[in-house]
Amino acid sequence: MSFVLPGELVPAQHVNLKLGPGLLQVSDVKNGSVMSTRAGELKHTANNREWWIEGNSRRYVPAPQESVIGVVIARSGEGWRVDIGSAHFASLDGLAFEGATKRSRPNLKVGSVLYARVSLAHKDMEPELECFDAQTRKAEGFGELKGGFLVRCSLQMSRMLLDQSHFLLPLLGARFPLEVAIGLNGRVWVSTKEPKYTIAVSRCIEAVDPDGGGMDERAAKKFLATLDI
Amino acid sequence: MGSRVEILNDDGYRSDGRRQFELRDITMDLSPRGTADGSAMITHGLTQVMVSVFGPREAKMRAQTLHDRAVLNVEVNIAPFSTGERRKRNRGDKRILELAASIKSTFEPVVQTALYPRSQIDIYVHVLQQDGGLLQASINAATLALVGAGIPLLDLVCAVTGGVHSTSPMLDLTTLEENDIPHLTVAVMPKTGNVTLVTMETRLHVDRFGDIFKLTCDAAQVIHQEMKRAAYARTRRLVDAMDVDSKSILLTGDNVDKDTAMNELE
Amino acid sequence: MPRPPSPSIPEREFLYASLKQSLRLDGRLPLEMREPTLTFGPDLGWVDCAMGRTRVLASVDGKMVKPTPERPLEGVITIHSEISPMASSDYETGRASDEEVVLTRMLDKVLRRSDTVDKESLCVQAGQRVWHLRLTIHCLADAGNLLDCACLAGIVALKHYRRPEVEVEGEDVTIHHPSERAPIPLAMHHTPYCFTFAYFPDTTTQAVLDPTSLEQRLSAGLLSIALNAQRELCVVQKAGGVPLAPDEVMRIINVAVGKAKELDRIVEKRLQEDWSTRNVEVR
Repeated sequence: MSFVLPGELVPAQHVNLKLGPGLLQVSDVKNGSVMSTRAGELKHTANNREWWIEGNSRRYVPAPQESVIGVVIARSGEGWRVDIGSAHFASLDGLAFEGATKRSRPNLKVGSVLYARVSLAHKDMEPELECFDAQTRKAEGFGELKGGFLVRCSLQMSRMLLDQSHFLLPLLGARFPLEVAIGLNGRVWVSTKEPKYTIAVSRCIEAVDPDGGGMDERAAKKFLATLDI
Repeated sequence: MGSRVEILNDDGYRSDGRRQFELRDITMDLSPRGTADGSAMITHGLTQVMVSVFGPREAKMRAQTLHDRAVLNVEVNIAPFSTGERRKRNRGDKRILELAASIKSTFEPVVQTALYPRSQIDIYVHVLQQDGGLLQASINAATLALVGAGIPLLDLVCAVTGGVHSTSPMLDLTTLEENDIPHLTVAVMPKTGNVTLVTMETRLHVDRFGDIFKLTCDAAQVIHQEMKRAAYARTRRLVDAMDVDSKSILLTGDNVDKDTAMNELE
Repeated sequence: MPRPPSPSIPEREFLYASLKQSLRLDGRLPLEMREPTLTFGPDLGWVDCAMGRTRVLASVDGKMVKPTPERPLEGVITIHSEISPMASSDYETGRASDEEVVLTRMLDKVLRRSDTVDKESLCVQAGQRVWHLRLTIHCLADAGNLLDCACLAGIVALKHYRRPEVEVEGEDVTIHHPSERAPIPLAMHHTPYCFTFAYFPDTTTQAVLDPTSLEQRLSAGLLSIALNAQRELCVVQKAGGVPLAPDEVMRIINVAVGKAKELDRIVEKRLQEDWSTRNVEVR
């Protein structure tokens, strides 16, 4: 594990090198040609082919095929404008849903929350979302999220929650049934039977978030025990 | 706070000859002015405020509209000649902005804005003369102007100021009194007796506050009667002027008489 | 993009439902406030006040000026406050937002117009020299209830500040540097604290003290009460919002009375702690 700061040279070498977020190829440097542009942990795949920097931030930058949670801001023409926490609102076409036709489009209100996938992310264009798998035209779990609550966290926290080996969700799931949708844009939708459970989830995420409490498994267990659930 | 004027003398009279709980002379005029959809002029003693209401109409600034209700826009203009000392206040003055913000948030829950999505209702307040109770007069005048403009309201809003001189509460203060004693302004919705606005900005003991607060709530009911009377009288004149079905005129006329007669009994 | 996106429907509905059961998202009771953290700087009158993630920095400095001809016997106090987009992305630069107007006016009413500092004690030479105190309020972060935090920071800064001692000999005025003579605290009449309660559209839901930003955004009216531990109200401000029954207003005021006493104890304790760590050198 190595930490880098912006401007450091990274010893990334491979015949078929692939650079992820936070790394930049520079040509005018003598030894080594890859430079870091972000602070964080330098990571690479086992075969040294893909390199990236794992850092933390709160501002989401859309990338294609990422699952995000968005809030409908307004209707626009045939679709909606959705806030996904990025610099610009994303657009969601009215037909990008399972079984949607010109006649029957899903009924989304301003303020509705949805789970969607970024289908287009380009620096010169507005991000676009879709609520189905473009190949199979099946929902695959995407669509409007009704009820529940939206918890906001740092981007790293949302990535950690998506990691199957992370302790938090199994820990909470052992205590009470819960339904969760995790967006890579630092938003987690939680639905439980009782408000007090949702509050417990929200407070645990806040406590474990490296940008907030930064608790580890033991501390989180202790913290959970103090909550009245 | 050494005052040269006696706020309340031993016989229970105030500096302008009123009793403790006596309100100043109120006149309300609902006749239309210019192109406004509704306008009202109100005087509380020497304080005189004119309000014009425009709307609901399309918002000048599209960006500020709300998709599910109308936006209230309040602008307050204090005439430079309204006080003894001629003084021009610019529009960015924090006091004026606060006054406008108070009026705006007082009416937001009262005006049924949800009926007019994506539109705007403008309330222009002109203060012509001030002698205490500026907020009170502005709110009362705005209520009447909104009534005149036919904008749906849940209830009238009636505002009164009150103050406490050592331990004796008094109502409807003049500038002289406002400068000297702790005072508060209360706006009441008379139907339910609930309070939409309370502002107080001078040091006052909690127990004293309780007394004067209750008192102003009662006094607001009196203002309510006056407002009702003014609105009825105006409507009656309009009906008379239209010279239509004489029966309906008689009916409304009867109602007014009964109403006012009852009020006078109270 | 005209306005900051308002909270989504699930957020709104969940908040109302949980408040109905008297549950708050951060685990507080409805009438419980976030415990303020007061950090004092190296200078006197420099306070960093944090309530949860809301953070305000206040600093006081004083200098000699000539008094205004209307009030030759009184010192001058000015309060500078500005909400910049640094506090929260909801604020814009330039144009004063409604929040800023409310904040500025409230600070003015609570700290200046309620006579917290004895202005006559700031007079050095009648009509010639008086102290001019400048209180600057920097809003560093707004996570709800910026107003209470700013008022608390302001009042604590004034309580923490000590002005240099001054000696008047005929026409000569000597200002003693703090290292020569111990600076003296300001003469304060009282210490008001501000409490903000949020009301919700459903009138059966209890009011909450010290709302977070989500609660504040979804509230249907705020009631701010400033008062001191001696049960004296300084400011009551309920500008519009849901109508309340007069009895409810009185009930909340009584709640605030208790909170003011609690907060007063905390503030006094922190000031004492800080003062005991300071080395006052008198040569």
